[in-house]
Amino acid sequence: MTENILNIEGLKTYFFTEAGIVKAVDDISFNLKKNESLGLVGESGSGKTVTALSVLRIVPKPGKIIDGKVEFNGDDLLEKTEKEMQKMRGSEIAIIFQDPSSSLNPVYNVETQLRDVILAHQTVPKAETRKKVIELLEVVGIPEAETRMREYPHQFSGGMKQRVAIARALACEPTLLFADEPTTNLDVTIQAQVLNLLNDLKKKFNMSLVMITHDMGIIAEMTTRIVVLYAGRVCEIAKTHDLFERPRHPYTEALLAAVPRLDMKKTLRIIPGNIPNLIEPPSGCRFHPRCKHAKNTCKEKIPVLEEIEPEHFVACHEWQNISLKGERKH
Amino acid sequence: MSSGRSITRSFSSLLGSAMFRYIVRRLLYMIPVFLGISIISFFVMYAAGDPLSIIRIGKPDITQETIESLKIYYGLDKPVPIQYLNWLTNLLQGNFGKSLRGGRPVNLLIGSWAWETVKLQLISILLAFAISIPIGINSAKKQYSKQDVAVTSISLFGVSMPTFWLGIILIIIFSYQLGLLPSAGSRGAPYLWWDNPILDQIAHLIMPVAVLVYVMLAQNIRLIRANMLEILRSDYVLAARASGLSERKVIYKYALRNAIGPVITYLGISLGMIIAGAPMTEYVFSWPGLGRRYVTAAMELDFPVVMGITMIITMMTLIANLMIDIAYVYIDPRIRLR
Ligand SMILES: Nc1ncnc2c1ncn2[C@@H]1O[C@H](COP(=O)(O)OP(=O)(O)OP(=O)(O)O)[C@@H](O)[C@H]1O
Ligand code: SF4
Ligand SMILES: [Mg+2]
Repeated sequence: MTENILNIEGLKTYFFTEAGIVKAVDDISFNLKKNESLGLVGESGSGKTVTALSVLRIVPKPGKIIDGKVEFNGDDLLEKTEKEMQKMRGSEIAIIFQDPSSSLNPVYNVETQLRDVILAHQTVPKAETRKKVIELLEVVGIPEAETRMREYPHQFSGGMKQRVAIARALACEPTLLFADEPTTNLDVTIQAQVLNLLNDLKKKFNMSLVMITHDMGIIAEMTTRIVVLYAGRVCEIAKTHDLFERPRHPYTEALLAAVPRLDMKKTLRIIPGNIPNLIEPPSGCRFHPRCKHAKNTCKEKIPVLEEIEPEHFVACHEWQNISLKGERKH
Repeated sequence: MSSGRSITRSFSSLLGSAMFRYIVRRLLYMIPVFLGISIISFFVMYAAGDPLSIIRIGKPDITQETIESLKIYYGLDKPVPIQYLNWLTNLLQGNFGKSLRGGRPVNLLIGSWAWETVKLQLISILLAFAISIPIGINSAKKQYSKQDVAVTSISLFGVSMPTFWLGIILIIIFSYQLGLLPSAGSRGAPYLWWDNPILDQIAHLIMPVAVLVYVMLAQNIRLIRANMLEILRSDYVLAARASGLSERKVIYKYALRNAIGPVITYLGISLGMIIAGAPMTEYVFSWPGLGRRYVTAAMELDFPVVMGITMIITMMTLIANLMIDIAYVYIDPRIRLR
């Protein structure tokens, strides 16, 4: 058995808004093996970001983690004090956000922002932090690091900004990295470069990676295993290859069918139906209002995640009775 | 030797810097603004009435002859444009003319008044900032908590409360009823606990400063709270937390610098009024500053004094605004000098 670096069990994170309780993450469980690249996919609003923020325990107000376990190398992070958590953030677990233009502070230069992260976790003399900052910027492929580190975020292009954000995340060599749609806001040509960089760095720093995206194309390239989320719950967990070829959950099938494939000249198809309201989510299986295979039980009983073959988990009442279409991986 | 050379070098690099060119350009722009304001105020005022007619009220038996000779003495017999040119020529030589009430040089009067106003305002502004920043931040951090609701409603009260009324209430309570504080002026005879020159000045400052701070505080807190609320929800604050920075660093370094910009802008916009000495407050506390004298001089139709104060206020406002724009460049690197 390989060791798990991360073990999430029954995680629930709710937002207590004036309109009602938003059950953004509602009983999510999955794990991450050491050095693995795991994909976290699902439509917008399915709870991907909130899951990552919950692991770091930085869910913004009025959100609150109300139940579950988040074991990191065997220790439950939800049991730790705020002070202990602060030490883990950035040094053990780091995150890269979707939009580098908003995730970098506009009023401090790059050196200051990277230096503050280093100094938050290590006591090093000033000359040494400067050397470290330059090294980091070189590692993420920023030319003329020594002059550019004195510049401000708005002086960098989108791709370069994301490289700076990556450098910040890697400043203290974390062992677990969340990449939350790191290329969604970038040009297509830049996307590939940044993804390659992430892949290289993951190997170089021996990291475990959780890749968050709703782009099935990226997920196929970047990951070896996938967790599919729908409306705050897990639908299916499988090896990337299995999931693409033999999806067992109707929602996964719909996601795959929506992938735009250049070679097939297929345009982006949107999954029919609406993303459910998370204040009063559909009863039973949350996907039932949009599912072609829904039966009466689906409206009444919540399907549990079961292992239907080694390392392939599905939460669907009907999985044995339906046959679904996958995508042949090129 | 070497330090002398490096000073020369840094001086020449200053001369060539974008900031230096910017400041020179801004100072040059002030000339037309300054002239424009002086022309408008001069003509509006001299069209408003005959400054000597008011003398008749005090001295009903004054002769027409005396008035005519006074007119000639003050140069009021000439056409208004000529009077303006005379006034301007004198001003360029640093001479604001003589007061129509008593004939004392305006320069002399304004000098001490301006100092009193600057002292009062500077202390109030600094105090208002020092108090409003932590309160605004805390209020935003604990949005909708009891403390936040209290602060928000008290500051709404502050925005809408007339300063005149607040000043009078303070005087009634602290001067007349409790006898704890002097009610008028900026200094006076040693008395009670303020029996040395320094305590005396402090005692006189307390109530006017309290009123000015209270008024600014309300506005400042509301601005800082609103900005902070937005910034605390931003990605860069979340990212700073995610990097393991301490809460103090996240708030006071990463968030605050972004929140302070709009407050400085607001200060710039309201500077005119602040420098004018918040005349009401000065009036209520008989503060010997520009603001109160402005009101008195206008009522007495003492045109040279009114013009002098107008020009001083204009200049202070223009220079303070320039200083704020420069400060802004240092606070927010995205702002480019144009
Ligand atoms: N601050 C908040 N207040 C209230 N609800 C929130 C807040 N943040 C997130 N949510 C809710 O939590 C749910 C999950 O959001 P989350 O950001 O995790 O989605 P996501 O899967 O990352 O989507 P996307 O692909 O758009 O990033 C959404 O329904 C959202 O409305
Ligand atoms: S449980 Fe029912 S509704 Fe849910 S995905 Fe399976 S078949 Fe569809
Ligand atoms: Mg998201």
